[in-house]
Amino acid sequence: MFGTSARNILSRSTAASTLRSTRAFSSTPVARFASVVEESQADAEGSEKKKLMKEFKIYRWNPDLPNEKPTLQSYKLDLSQCGPMVLDALIKIKNDLDPTLTFRRSCREGICGSCAMNIDGVNTLACLSRIDRSETKASKLYPLPHMYVVKDLIPDMTQFYKQYKSIEPFLKNDNPPEKGEYYQSVEDRQKLDGMYECILCACCSTSCPSYWWNQDEYLGPAVLMQAYRWMADSRVSLDRPSRQSRDRSSCSIRSFLQDAYGAERKAKMENSLSVYRCHSIFNCSRTCPKGLNPARAIAAIKLEMATGA
Amino acid sequence: MSFALSSMKPMMGRTGLGLRLISTSRAAAVQSSKITSAAGVAANETAGFKYIPGGPVLPGTVNDATSFPHSDPSHGSRHWVFERALSAALVPVMGAAVAANPGTGVYPVIDAILATSLIVHSHIGFDSCIIDYLHERKMPVIGFAAKWLLRVATGASIWGVYEFETNDIGLTELVRRLWTA
Repeated sequence: MFGTSARNILSRSTAASTLRSTRAFSSTPVARFASVVEESQADAEGSEKKKLMKEFKIYRWNPDLPNEKPTLQSYKLDLSQCGPMVLDALIKIKNDLDPTLTFRRSCREGICGSCAMNIDGVNTLACLSRIDRSETKASKLYPLPHMYVVKDLIPDMTQFYKQYKSIEPFLKNDNPPEKGEYYQSVEDRQKLDGMYECILCACCSTSCPSYWWNQDEYLGPAVLMQAYRWMADSRVSLDRPSRQSRDRSSCSIRSFLQDAYGAERKAKMENSLSVYRCHSIFNCSRTCPKGLNPARAIAAIKLEMATGA
Repeated sequence: MSFALSSMKPMMGRTGLGLRLISTSRAAAVQSSKITSAAGVAANETAGFKYIPGGPVLPGTVNDATSFPHSDPSHGSRHWVFERALSAALVPVMGAAVAANPGTGVYPVIDAILATSLIVHSHIGFDSCIIDYLHERKMPVIGFAAKWLLRVATGASIWGVYEFETNDIGLTELVRRLWTA
């Protein structure tokens, strides 16, 4: 008993030193160590589970070696020792096979949007996508398409966030209620369903060809859906009467009151690039890992801008 | 020490987290880039790096929102409404051209309306392609050339249609003859 724990401590300390000393150079000693760990784990759990070796081909690019071209690196993993989702496989690879593999992850349950990547040709969240369990076919993992890559599976999201900021994703209301909260009818609240759930993982925007070609000006489906989410919110709509309604000041019917900020938000998009680069390709709605429909929100923006609603 | 700091300055970038080393990837991407156009973004907005539309260098700090292009409904909502209305109108116009009797006086009018709307419809379509793929902010020369080539082609087509309608058989009659030929 004492002997094994001492060995564990010893092996752990050697592992730590190996990791520290070799991380920057090569992963082979680490990989050798990892296979030892796997064997011992298999011994401990009993190997009644059938081995299922699956190949993962993962996009690798290291910014510290900018002259080396990006490559697909292959990893073989025993799926019987791994969780069911692609993110489980990635974490397993990083833990056991190659600690230099770099990817974003946080919640592992599809609510943070960190692990968005291109898995077998589809933009999705690694934590929500099951591993294809066919042994013959390798799974290919790429970063989100047509984004600048920071490292391996990590895209540079700066422009995406700057665009999100540009649509002012917050409530704008000059006359907040003096005390208590804003009231909103059930129907008005329902207008936000299917939009507020967006986690800004950028799967939809990076699946959109228009966003690929004109990323610097076209806002992209994710940001446009959030833009509409703040246009459709009833809590900004009643505070500033339009000129029309001021003329008919005796009339306090809701339809004569216009949301001046909504008009402002729409006026900013009156150009050929911000919203009208959407050609209704519907890749966004097809790929959304949360099952939302950004194309519908963009269509609503276009309709409201056309009708002046 | 002060010399070392000042010599490091060009490598420092304005980011949202204060002065920070610019990552090697971004700098390398800038250096290897061959595109040389810059669209009205000053060097002090990009930490001294050249701005390339759609490139890795973004104007401003990471905390600055992107800006919107100049607001003009004739390139926005009105353009969109016109485009959609024209596309929808082409359906009944085409039906009318098929149904119209070649002998009547309304026939050449419908024919002219159909031919002109088809040209305008194609012009909007090609213009959309140019904005998508050859926009002037990214390709100042090719974009400009493509824009004017399209305008000249559209103008020439309209003149050609005018000649075709006044001195020849007209579009509908041409299709009719090709159909029966």
